[in-house]
Amino acid sequence: MTTNTSAQTGTVPAGAVDGDLLVVRDLVKHFPIRKGFWSKIVGHVRAVDGVSFNVRQGETLGLVGESGCGKTTTSRLVMRAYQPTGGTIHFRDRTQGWLDIPTASATQVRGVRRNLQMIFQDPYSSLNPRMTLLDIIGEPLMVNGVAKGSELQDRVAELLRLVGLHPEYMARYPHAFSGGQRQRVGIARAIALEPQLVVCDEPVSALDVSIQAQTLNLLEDLQARLGLTYIFVAHDLSVVQHVSTRVAVMYVGRIVECAPTEDLFFTPKHPYTEALLSAVPTPDPTRRGSRIFLAGEVPDASNPPPGCHFHPRCRYAADICRTTVPPLTEIAPGHTVACHMSDQLSLTGVHS
Amino acid sequence: MMTSTDAVRVGTTSAPRAMDTPVALDVNDLRTHFTMPGGTVRAVDGVSYRLHRGRTLGIVGESGCGKSVTAQSILGIVPRPGKVVSGSMMLTRGDGSTLELAGLDPKGKVIRSVRGNEIAYIFQEPMSALSPIHTIGHQITEVIRLHTGANRDQARERAETVMRQVGLPRPDEVLGRYPHQLSGGMRQRAVIGIALACNPSILIADEPTTALDVTTEAVILDLVRSLQDTTGMAIQFITHNLGVIAEIADEVVVMYMGRQVERASVTDLFLRPQHPYTQALLRSMPRLGKRAQARLEAIEGMVPDPFSVPVGCAFHTRCRHYVPVRCDQPEYVEVAPGHWVRCSRAGEVA
Repeated sequence: MTTNTSAQTGTVPAGAVDGDLLVVRDLVKHFPIRKGFWSKIVGHVRAVDGVSFNVRQGETLGLVGESGCGKTTTSRLVMRAYQPTGGTIHFRDRTQGWLDIPTASATQVRGVRRNLQMIFQDPYSSLNPRMTLLDIIGEPLMVNGVAKGSELQDRVAELLRLVGLHPEYMARYPHAFSGGQRQRVGIARAIALEPQLVVCDEPVSALDVSIQAQTLNLLEDLQARLGLTYIFVAHDLSVVQHVSTRVAVMYVGRIVECAPTEDLFFTPKHPYTEALLSAVPTPDPTRRGSRIFLAGEVPDASNPPPGCHFHPRCRYAADICRTTVPPLTEIAPGHTVACHMSDQLSLTGVHS
Repeated sequence: MMTSTDAVRVGTTSAPRAMDTPVALDVNDLRTHFTMPGGTVRAVDGVSYRLHRGRTLGIVGESGCGKSVTAQSILGIVPRPGKVVSGSMMLTRGDGSTLELAGLDPKGKVIRSVRGNEIAYIFQEPMSALSPIHTIGHQITEVIRLHTGANRDQARERAETVMRQVGLPRPDEVLGRYPHQLSGGMRQRAVIGIALACNPSILIADEPTTALDVTTEAVILDLVRSLQDTTGMAIQFITHNLGVIAEIADEVVVMYMGRQVERASVTDLFLRPQHPYTQALLRSMPRLGKRAQARLEAIEGMVPDPFSVPVGCAFHTRCRHYVPVRCDQPEYVEVAPGHWVRCSRAGEVA
């Protein structure tokens, strides 16, 4: 068991503002690359490479970026599914107060788990096919000693109603349900313990278009009703714009821009955000127009380019970008960006 | 054409075009059914459209609507127990003659000379479309040698040309690699290269960008468009993403439960949708740039079970404009030139 000062309950972490629920500082996660018979470590994938952000009570923080940018790793680190290589993740637990998730003791983590839940991407693989809905949704309640027996059934029935499913379905198995319904089951399980923070990892990307809207509305209703805070990881920018209060854009393990949703979409300050927004197909054939086409590939996170990771694909890159890592700086209230050129550029956002 | 040296390019995408070129493929009242112990699934149930040279037809719909089975029917690769039960698919060949694809033996010589040669197919998942144990070069030269009878060197030369065409720099290097050594975007370029190797007159692309990131998607869509401009091939572009359709299609077919519910030029479909399903789909999507709306207008319910398709209009169980009796037998009617809708209340609902 590790205890250090920051894991002590009640200590407010540095950089926390009133109303913050989660404070992440300099988070780093390197995965070793092993090779050969002795599994010698030959390098590291820098999946998350110095990420800092705050999540405020009641808001939805969108985390966007292309595959391999570290958004899922970040969310898993918050869940303590991985142990970080460095950095702190302070969470303001309802009963225990502030504690650092990576260094918290096993008992403390058990308590935190109740208040920190996750909704997964694929509703087909995230539900155990051998468990009924009662088992699936009731499990967290039982494990945490919240309810059992008929009380458990009542509670599960209530949760099913809350997510828009009939309580009579309780005895059925997941195979009897469609993708959208399964995702509702996953949501019911996540909110069963009335968590403070829910990490949604691509919760609608596996769903059909007509089901996506229902699910997004459900998540919003639940947030209003239960006072939930979401970290919403997604690659679909129109979905992220719709649900998020603030958005953080990640590129090769780092946050390149973080701002309130409207600022980020209408007045982006990082060239990568601009390119990302420009690439989103618009559902309006009369608006086919100019687009930024990024050449090449997202760099390999085990061997990223020096300086600003984006410089080889950036049309505004200057000499300094090739050598020096741009720090994440606040350029407007709540709008941070990691770009050397940000004050000289006027970038194009989304047309309203 | 893009090369690796210009890191960023700002390009303009072309406006939608009229379907005024010669017909490449005429699909008429196609029906493909799957007879199973639990009943018959009418995966494709009376679909008609035309592919025109140098033009792109988009087919949209949710999973299970029959959009992929339509494409499989054309190539005679419908998985068992599916069967094309009626309808015609008339292919116009390079020499001007026509060939009826319906009723061809799926293992016969004729359809095999069409597949991959005159009609090429791009699958959604580039990883499963490629053989993991053969190099890209092996897989592309195989197609070229099979269809054109070229020798090894000629095939290799053609392969390098095609790889350059799809924007893969240093083709000799890429041709020697295995699929797992390429990134998702490069793999999809290689798949497109294989599809284009024999200069097909028709390209069927089934969700070709769904597995890709948006930035890669934009580049691939641009590539497909520019290749169409140079080769003049007809494209059938299947996707569930309405944004992608608005970007690439000239004409669009909307499918629901195996039937065509609407067909129109891309501009008409997005600006003047007539079918309640199309309207609802467009309304339910979150849109980039629209200032935060409170709630999305979701479509109620879910896609019905394919074994028990609702009688009459298949969409009536989820339609807010449903009127009993009147909506029982919706006809497929032309409400404006080139704009077809299967809805009894077309024109009065919006």
